[in-house]
Amino acid sequence: VSGNTLTWRDRLRRDRTLVLMVLPAVLLLIVFNYVPMLGSVTAFQSYDIYNGFLHSPWTGLATFERLFGDPIFWSAFWNTLAISAVQLILFFPVPIVLALLLDSVMSRRLRSLVQSVVYLPHFFSWVLVVTVFQQMLGGAGLVNSLLRQNGLHPFTIMTNPGLFKLLVTSQVIWKEAGWGIIVFLAALATINPSLYEAAAADGAGRWRRMWHITLPGIRGVAVLLLVLRLGNALTVGFEQMLIQRDAVGRGAAEVLDTYSYYYGIVNGNFSLGAAAGLLKGVMSLVLIVAANRVAHAFGEDGVYRRS
Amino acid sequence: MQPEAPGTRYPSLSRRGFLTAAATAAGAVAAGPLLAGCGSSGAKTGTTSQSALQKILPTYVPQNAVTPDIPGVRGSSPGFLRYPTNLVKTVGETPGAGGSYTAVTPLWGSIPSAAGNHYYAAVNRALGANLRVQPANGNTFNTILPPMFAARNLPDWICLPSWNTDSTHGLNFGEAVGALFVDLTPYLSGDNIKKYPNLAAIPTNAWQACVWGEKIYGLPVFPGGLYTNTLYYRKDILDSLGIKQPMSADELFNVGREITNPNTKRWAFGDLWTELKAPFGIPAGLNWTTDDKGALIYQYETPQFIEALRWQQKAFAAGLVHPDDVAGDLSNAKQRFYSGQTVIYGDGVGAWDEAVKGQTPVNPKFNMQAFAPFTASGTGTPGYDIINGATIFSYLNRKLSAGQIQELLRIANFLAAPFGSYEYTLVTFGDPAVDYTRSGDGPPTPTAVGQKEVATSYGFLATGPGVVADAQYPDYVKAYTRWEANAARYQRKPLFYDMNISEPAQYASLNQPVEDIIKDVNRNRKGIADFQAAVATWRRNGGDNLRKFYEDIRSKYGTGQ
Repeated sequence: VSGNTLTWRDRLRRDRTLVLMVLPAVLLLIVFNYVPMLGSVTAFQSYDIYNGFLHSPWTGLATFERLFGDPIFWSAFWNTLAISAVQLILFFPVPIVLALLLDSVMSRRLRSLVQSVVYLPHFFSWVLVVTVFQQMLGGAGLVNSLLRQNGLHPFTIMTNPGLFKLLVTSQVIWKEAGWGIIVFLAALATINPSLYEAAAADGAGRWRRMWHITLPGIRGVAVLLLVLRLGNALTVGFEQMLIQRDAVGRGAAEVLDTYSYYYGIVNGNFSLGAAAGLLKGVMSLVLIVAANRVAHAFGEDGVYRRS
Repeated sequence: MQPEAPGTRYPSLSRRGFLTAAATAAGAVAAGPLLAGCGSSGAKTGTTSQSALQKILPTYVPQNAVTPDIPGVRGSSPGFLRYPTNLVKTVGETPGAGGSYTAVTPLWGSIPSAAGNHYYAAVNRALGANLRVQPANGNTFNTILPPMFAARNLPDWICLPSWNTDSTHGLNFGEAVGALFVDLTPYLSGDNIKKYPNLAAIPTNAWQACVWGEKIYGLPVFPGGLYTNTLYYRKDILDSLGIKQPMSADELFNVGREITNPNTKRWAFGDLWTELKAPFGIPAGLNWTTDDKGALIYQYETPQFIEALRWQQKAFAAGLVHPDDVAGDLSNAKQRFYSGQTVIYGDGVGAWDEAVKGQTPVNPKFNMQAFAPFTASGTGTPGYDIINGATIFSYLNRKLSAGQIQELLRIANFLAAPFGSYEYTLVTFGDPAVDYTRSGDGPPTPTAVGQKEVATSYGFLATGPGVVADAQYPDYVKAYTRWEANAARYQRKPLFYDMNISEPAQYASLNQPVEDIIKDVNRNRKGIADFQAAVATWRRNGGDNLRKFYEDIRSKYGTGQ
């Protein structure tokens, strides 16, 4: 209560241990996140490695002008948003539902078994995941070979641009849903069991208990993750898209990150890549602040507490 | 270790879309250099004319220390069926003067430990210098270069493959080469090179590829060979079906139809796109050719390019291409060919030896052959564009003194000893006491220690003229040399052959949108009209300026043909 009346020095003395503990992380953040951010100046230069950012000529906003005038950039932008939207709708609820299901399983052993099995794919690389999908569902894959052997018509999933958004979302679900459960299970564990007992004693059924106790109990976490997800809406899995880009073509699989990669890094046009990356960063910041505002409006904490 | 297909430049210098007003207000002055650029701005292109070349190129003095079993014809590689038993010494005295140097090279394979390495010790002892070679992963070699170039912090000797220094890597190499590396012209031009007989035995076209801005900067590494890529087929499978190598695009398609059978998991083709360009007569090299009026046109603008696209569309639509290739998954392309899931595929020329070594022990019937040159139409004489005299180079650091430079050139002369010589055997197989064994006239066979500590490391600093040699698989040596000697009859020099030209960086990503469309067109997701529209955009966004840049090069420096 009296914290505000303490001097800066008193507070430092009081929190010394905490400050020391956080120091390494802050240093890492400065060295590996904030200092490299200075490299963003290359977006305003005609940058080449040999001349470095000290000697490369300044070009002002020319790179951004070129970026905004490039239909391929806009196609990558809209692809990113569309894939992000599909994933938000189809992927985001899956870990919540899985966590609720798993939480209702009584057997401890069965529960940890299921949990291990579903979160194992998180540790696979995207190359492996896409290869598994290709070997199962691809044109020469297991399923199509079976279909052919039985005289049935094979199907095209892995190389169908129209189905690509659903394909990548199902890959994300297969790979990441299990991992996503962990946070929600932790949130569920914090709910006081006596609430359920009291509700049951009052005659509340399964659904009522879920609606009035379970869901409100995990709402804070769900909103926090949703805000973070919205802030990351422009990041939809670089490797996953890169690996499958030839299979469905640029039209379906180019997202902002692959655009930066192909037009910036692969072709040595670092200024353009930096400009696209910088733009993405700014838009993400706007998104996360906006989403956080909305969270506050609904009475939730969001990413940070409103002071 | 194949270079990436040359490609990929950028579009859009157009001024559409929003922010235009803001940008024109704020960036009017600054935008100048970026938007105005076309080659005439005095940028350093590093190019050299034929007449200037004649003044500086080293004298060619062939070596006859070791005679090949199969001589090379018209520039094709000579072949060795056996490893020489009498190891000829080509270098009289110890080349080094006890100097200590660092060297960085790419390596495709596991990197041996330097500590307690008998191989390094033996080679350095013979060199009379402490040359510390630091091999780095060749697949990611391009990622270690930017920090070195940016910090001007280079080793004494460095190997730089040309595909790591082209305009798509932002190293500004045409300018950097002169500032960072030693001008070797005074040491090597004309008869000066005779002090280094093994270097003098490297063919002139390899030295020509080392010249930037009328000066010799590089030492050629693995010079020789006429082609990088070729179509391969499984002769054992075609023989069992009674089919011969197709000799036209139509025949190729029909053969594809005949051998494709998804029910038995057999598809005719991998992705043939890169290797189909030669039979269709699409210009390679820097991908320029001339139209009937003599004006420069780019590969995209040639009628044969569209014919090749149409063929691809037909093959993809008929389901003749393996589904994993359709899905762009090339990581297992070789395995698909080995297992017979694809019967015809395209790859680098180095893939042949690798396949024979790996497959013969597990499948004695395995028989792969390279396609003899053919034309898509099945008529006329094929014309296959050849590659530059060398595509990998090593450079000496400019900070070295004249004495050090001469010491390293003497060492390079040692490393460039011809195949089968004493020096070559030491540098390639290591210490005879530890690293390899020989029985009778058999080839050197690495011991367990040799397998661990010997790697192509010094080899990426300087090498003698290329040969085909694999004493264990003489059939492969015969087939390869026969194929290359035959293909050599159809060799053609592309425009700007063997010339170093540093393209302005703003064209670096110009090709990317077109290359993307090509993948779409091949897979029938887009049509020929979409391709033509993309090429029209390519022209507007810089293609026409690039043409002017190369017209300028052509009128100033010639075509290299």
